[in-house]
Amino acid sequence: MTENVVRLDDATFTYPGGSSVGGFDFAIGRGEAVALIGPNGAGKSTLLRGILGLVPLTHGRMSLGEPVGEASGPMADAAARPVTAKHSDRGMLGFLPQSMEFDLDFPISLEQVVMQGRYRRLGLLRWPGRADRAAVRHALETVGLEELAATRFGQLSGGQRQRGLLARALAAEPELLLLDEPFNGLDQPNRDALVATLRRLKRDGVAVLVSTHDLELAQQVCDLVLLVNGGQLSFGPVADVLTLGNVQRCFDGVEVEIDEHTLVVPGHEGH
Amino acid sequence: MSYFERALVAAIIIGAVGGFVGCLVVLRRRTFFAQALTHGTYPGAVAAAALGVSVPLGAAAASVVLVLVMTGIARVRNQGAQVAAGIVLTGGFAAGAILAAVVPSLPVQPESLLVGSILTVTPADILLAACVGLVALVLVVVFGRRIVFSTFDQAGFRAAGYREWPIELLVLGLTAATVVSALPAVGAILAIALIAAPAAAARLVTTTYRGMLVTAPAIGAASGVLGVLASRALAIAAGPAIVLAATGFLLLALLGSKLRALPWRASAIPVETAEDARTA
Repeated sequence: MTENVVRLDDATFTYPGGSSVGGFDFAIGRGEAVALIGPNGAGKSTLLRGILGLVPLTHGRMSLGEPVGEASGPMADAAARPVTAKHSDRGMLGFLPQSMEFDLDFPISLEQVVMQGRYRRLGLLRWPGRADRAAVRHALETVGLEELAATRFGQLSGGQRQRGLLARALAAEPELLLLDEPFNGLDQPNRDALVATLRRLKRDGVAVLVSTHDLELAQQVCDLVLLVNGGQLSFGPVADVLTLGNVQRCFDGVEVEIDEHTLVVPGHEGH
Repeated sequence: MSYFERALVAAIIIGAVGGFVGCLVVLRRRTFFAQALTHGTYPGAVAAAALGVSVPLGAAAASVVLVLVMTGIARVRNQGAQVAAGIVLTGGFAAGAILAAVVPSLPVQPESLLVGSILTVTPADILLAACVGLVALVLVVVFGRRIVFSTFDQAGFRAAGYREWPIELLVLGLTAATVVSALPAVGAILAIALIAAPAAAARLVTTTYRGMLVTAPAIGAASGVLGVLASRALAIAAGPAIVLAATGFLLLALLGSKLRALPWRASAIPVETAEDARTA
């Protein structure tokens, strides 16, 4: 039995505005990779942001290593009010966001961006030490960008920037890595590099939850699939869950073709 | 200390502080906000002068009100921060102009509040600017990497579990304090130049934000000294001379970066280094 890094029991995440995704009932163990699959607007990002503690947990339970939140509905008593992940738990999380709204003119080097992944560990007053610099170097080596460490971040190509941000997530030495659509817009070499990196991370015991439209990726690097549309539809091994019927149900009657590798969903971005 | 020496010290300190805090303003793209703040503090300064209290105190009070007003307007129906800054800029300036006209016996020239008079700064003015600079330095040492993180990648900053508003408030507060402390020397209209120009010039000639934080105060201080010296040598107003010096540095930096970008320079450099290598 693998040790669980994250575990959700009937968990619901609700934005302050009221929209919510719920029914999450799954666990990810060390060295396991889970593909998070569902149509646009299905709540994939909300789930990732919920695990990060950016969207409140309003029902059920979530544990990161140890239990961090318990809630039993918005109408319940004070003991069950919405709980978010405590800051101290975030040290074990690495996150690669989907949107990249950077100030590309900002005079900052790739190395300095990767060091941002260490800030949680550094706190407010400690300066980066030898261990931090080693973690940054190691993260850059893992994504294959060590030679560009001193390059200004804005001068990197799109794929290199994304690998750089993955390095930032890795520099935090996370136990759970959350990736939101990391393969969107990547060319083949950068894609291959990312696949290789994810495999290596799994070998090192990192748990991975990656949202994607790309079934090829799911089959290449993931052991488990979590189908989502407004909440959890099914969860299990790739071969059991990624059936034509399940995927069609998930994508809400939209025409779906599975041509061996690629999920083609008209109306969504096709790969 | 003679009034002239005092003016030099004030120019160095205010120029350096303006350059330092200006880096945060320029990197976070809050220049227009800072400009609105400089113009908007004008009525506060006029009111303080009319009441006979310290001018920076009046300007500081005005700046607190302005930050609140701007935050409020920025929330109104998709108007946004730029509109808010524009309204405050012109509205504040108009209010100051009317106030200066209706108050019959203003103890100072309204003009000196607009363009400053560095030859009449008091030791207290200098002390205030130095304190603002010291506080800014300490805050940047402690919070610098978070300021950089949130400026560079706001979404990533939030995802890492940090809150954005304390950083924004910190930078706004420092900007307001810098504007207020620069007011006696360079006035409401010219203060923005000491905040924006040295930082913008430093950004052009450096490649890292750390380099920028060192270069910008140096450029600001140099502008201050040059301006004060030019004002004595050429018998011109000191405030405008300081601002023109800062603008001159910006133009030089701009020219330098344009020249560096020219293709003939790029091909010339390897030849030079090859020659250097042979002679070495």
